[in-house]
Amino acid sequence: MNIVDRFYAYLWPGVTTREMQVYGNNCNSYLVANALPKNKHVLVDPGMVTNEARQKCLERLIAGMAKDGFRIEDVGVILNTHAHPDHYGASEEIRKRSGAQVAIGKGDDDFLKLADGEAAQMLKQMGFEMPEIHPDFYLTEGELRLGPDLAARIILTPGHSQGHIAIYWPDSKVFMGGDLIFYGSTGRVDIPGGSARALKESIEMVAQLDIEYILTGHQYGSPGIIKGKDEIKRNFESIRANIYPYL
Amino acid sequence: MSGENDKVKSAFEIAMERVQKLGSLSDEEKRKLKEEELGPAGKALADRYLSGLPLRDLDIELGRHAEADRSAVRRYAVSHLLEAIDLGNTQEDDRILSAIEHLSGDSGLVGRIKDILKDYRKAIEEARQKNWGRLEAAERNELAIRGVSGSAVEPAVEASAEWLQIRSDLDLDFLKRLADARGNANRP
Repeated sequence: MNIVDRFYAYLWPGVTTREMQVYGNNCNSYLVANALPKNKHVLVDPGMVTNEARQKCLERLIAGMAKDGFRIEDVGVILNTHAHPDHYGASEEIRKRSGAQVAIGKGDDDFLKLADGEAAQMLKQMGFEMPEIHPDFYLTEGELRLGPDLAARIILTPGHSQGHIAIYWPDSKVFMGGDLIFYGSTGRVDIPGGSARALKESIEMVAQLDIEYILTGHQYGSPGIIKGKDEIKRNFESIRANIYPYL
Repeated sequence: MSGENDKVKSAFEIAMERVQKLGSLSDEEKRKLKEEELGPAGKALADRYLSGLPLRDLDIELGRHAEADRSAVRRYAVSHLLEAIDLGNTQEDDRILSAIEHLSGDSGLVGRIKDILKDYRKAIEEARQKNWGRLEAAERNELAIRGVSGSAVEPAVEASAEWLQIRSDLDLDFLKRLADARGNANRP
């Protein structure tokens, strides 16, 4: 569904407990339509191919895109906010179908490769399946230019993971936060590479930005899009009051 | 049907024939046979070390074998550790070389392998200095054609086809040197 301008959201069900039980875990995916030459799209956080509930996550994403008139074959670039499989898992499968270039935060790629992939091994031991990812380029803090007229700011937002990045689109005041902040909550910090202190610092930094839409990584019992400056401000205040004491 | 005089030997009879042959082995042959039986023990010791057994515990584990057997177990462990040396993993290679030196006492061998690994790292660094800038520019150009640019973009040069080929050529060269050093070490 269209959010604003060329930004489209494909939200994974999970607002109600029943939805979470039936659909299992996957992330919200976002499309920046016609951002690249030849009308190719940018896809942010493609999610998994299938999840622990045997839901066909990628097929659902493809069907959702098709409703908006977009084809997976026309994805030109995949941007991953962090190296957790529920976000990046389908990257290589989509690359096979579209020839898309794949990117991830440099910090998270380094973390996964640390000590010959011991970090990835730790995540596997926690029960995460870790599909392969072969980035064509990395994202570091700075400006990301796409096509002739679109620019985003890549912001390093560690906390949920060591190299977690967020993508801020200043012209549309859209913020894609990955698993940094949710509606009324934040990403967890207990996965290897997580840090409560870093998460809080990242959130406070992001709270200073001029944002109209926060596009979150998950709908964990709450809507995936936080819309409007007032609502966004209330969300930050709620997180400070109700979540920070437990981080 | 074969002739009634042909006798199909039972497994027991075949085994007994073999045992009788053993009785006719020379002392040297018996010693070699015994040593070969210790191969798996040496490999097991090496595998345990590779899985994290501390260096100081190698002697404790060796001590579980009969004194007459320890030399053979050491040799097989060293041979297996030599096979485990990997060009690219400096930290692990250093650890393996410590065990080889401890078990074999052959500091010359360890020195030769360290030289090969040092030369390899130097060759990689030289190749990187010579090629990296050019390869990165080529990758950036490729990304720009696809509409991707900016200060946030860092091309994954190490994944480029040309860099992988450069690495592969260097690896082949040094793997041969490593194999020669292992081969010389294993000769009596």
